[in-house]
Amino acid sequence: MTALITQAVILGILLGGLYALLAAGLTLYFGVMRVVMIAHSAFLILAAYLAWAFHRATGIDPLFSLVATVPLFFVLGVVMQRFLLSRLKPATLTMMSVLLTFAIALIIEGMLGFVWTGTQRRISLSYSTASIEVFGANIAVVKLVAFGLAAVSLLALYLLMKATSFGQALRATIQHKEAAALLGIDTEKVAGYGFGLGLATAAIGGTALALDSTIYPSLHWHWIGPLMAIIVVGGLGSIPGAAIAALVLGLSQSLLQIPLGTTWAQTVFYLALFLTLMVRPQGFFGGRLAQRF
Amino acid sequence: MPNASDLATPTPTAPATGRPDDSAGQRFDRRLRLAKAGLGAVAVVLALMVPWLAPDAFILSVAVVIASYAAFAVGWNFVGGFTGYISLGHASYSGLGGYAVALLTTHTGINPWVALVLGAVAVALLAVPIGIASLRVRGASFVIVSIALVLILLLVFQSWASVTGGSEGLRVPRPFDSSVLRPEQHTRFYLLFLLLIGIALVVWWLIDRSQFGAGLKAIREDEDKAEALGVPTFRYKLVVFVISAFFTSLAGGLYALWFGNLDPVFQFSILTGSYMVLMSLFGGIRSLVGPVVGAVVVGYAMEVFKAQYGDSQFHLVALGLLLAVVVLFMPEGVVPALLGVVHRFRPAATSIREESAAELLERNRAIDAQRRAQTEADAETEAERVEDARHATTGKGRS
Repeated sequence: MTALITQAVILGILLGGLYALLAAGLTLYFGVMRVVMIAHSAFLILAAYLAWAFHRATGIDPLFSLVATVPLFFVLGVVMQRFLLSRLKPATLTMMSVLLTFAIALIIEGMLGFVWTGTQRRISLSYSTASIEVFGANIAVVKLVAFGLAAVSLLALYLLMKATSFGQALRATIQHKEAAALLGIDTEKVAGYGFGLGLATAAIGGTALALDSTIYPSLHWHWIGPLMAIIVVGGLGSIPGAAIAALVLGLSQSLLQIPLGTTWAQTVFYLALFLTLMVRPQGFFGGRLAQRF
Repeated sequence: MPNASDLATPTPTAPATGRPDDSAGQRFDRRLRLAKAGLGAVAVVLALMVPWLAPDAFILSVAVVIASYAAFAVGWNFVGGFTGYISLGHASYSGLGGYAVALLTTHTGINPWVALVLGAVAVALLAVPIGIASLRVRGASFVIVSIALVLILLLVFQSWASVTGGSEGLRVPRPFDSSVLRPEQHTRFYLLFLLLIGIALVVWWLIDRSQFGAGLKAIREDEDKAEALGVPTFRYKLVVFVISAFFTSLAGGLYALWFGNLDPVFQFSILTGSYMVLMSLFGGIRSLVGPVVGAVVVGYAMEVFKAQYGDSQFHLVALGLLLAVVVLFMPEGVVPALLGVVHRFRPAATSIREESAAELLERNRAIDAQRRAQTEADAETEAERVEDARHATTGKGRS
């Protein structure tokens, strides 16, 4: 029993790391544009498919697909921000952007099914079945790799935000766009790059996901719900809040799987979402921003 | 979020009263009203005649599907149109309505039509706590919650197979006995859907003209200001949310009785919810008939698309593209756009026009920019004038 719980805790933390990275991306979009990006998880699945297709075509480890997908997604994000989202009228931006990104998610899902059919796909690697024992618990190596990828990316994102002048400009734009513009920051450009960064997290997350999961086009609906719940619980716009909520909820999901099974354990996200709205609608780490959007 | 009044420029519009052609304007209005009534009457008669015009049972079944889309869209538009809260998760209420009818009729054996109304009442009651939770937040968070609701219901109804039948599906008993043949059933359900749409539209129209409706529209344009003006925003939103859940659930129940089989994947599908949004937006969420027009056009297009290309992944792409185009290029919808064209021919502008906060903001922006450019130009000429004057006084003219 203790081994089972240890395993659940470790798996929960590993899963939480991936959630945290993806939620950080969602938070970035929201921060720079006040946009809730429904298509985030669709891009996640797109990246997973690209990693799978890359591996199938070349036989090289799918991790190397990151070299291409991360810059590609960054550029896609900048383009999306500049040519689609900034065209929307400011007064109705929040609602219309949700619909627009929802439309993009549908297009991606449809195209994935169109190009690679709805068949379930899975990458098999030499180390796919390998696992190591930690405190009597069996942990798959691919999950460790995925977590490592997520952790390194989150750290890189943190350093970028805290230690560079671009990060400073980005944080200023998130805090108060007009004030940042008055200080001479080109907020439009920064918002575009922020969007690109957010989409780059989807590229990394997708590759990590492809390592140990079976993927299919409509999989993104299973991800968007939990991710949305995480950013609302953490407080829209707060990256540390999103990371903490991701770890806590990932851990809870993993632990609840023992008594409830996988399906019912997923409800923890929605329960947390509804409880948060009843008790603290602005989220547990969000500032005054969150409730209005 | 910027408000329309942030750019506090009173818009310089010409006073519209006391014009000599006022009577011409009134005449135009009368004619327009007459034309609208005539068009409406023709549309209603045509809609009623569909079962007798349809060449075969398949076309008739497509008509029933489109009528059900229209009923869903009208139900959705109580929240979307009045308050501007876009719910992507209204499939929750249609799905719950369907399951409520099915479970009530199979377990208690009551009359299916009583079960339909009872089920909708039950769903409306359930919508109260859901509304209290989700209406506490605005905009994006509200949309997130609405999506989450569909996902959680899908999860629950798939897993709780002992009650809901899970993915095996749940059979809904037929409300008419077996002597009524399928085409005749289509006709009856089609007319029932029209009745439901009619009732919902009358309720919508009544709300639209009431003080309650004015308060709701104030919430749509600027919730903070509405609250400051004394509109009990939360109560208003909750009431209209419950009304919307009630009508959506009635439509869902009726659909369940017609279709005869329920599967959670289709009942609690994000796609169903997005159809409602797309159709209402396409037709125009501010207008009474907008969602119906949208449902007929979009629903017909989608059915043709399905008949042509089958139920492939490609219809997702088509749906996505259509939604993106509507959102990007005509968020106001088709009906308001057409009315705008008609109003251009009106001799004199009315003194009170319906204008959304977004339009006002855009217009004020344009005026502001124009003024700024004007002031800058003025300042430049002024500077030049001063410069010239100085040159002149010092006797060093610029040749």
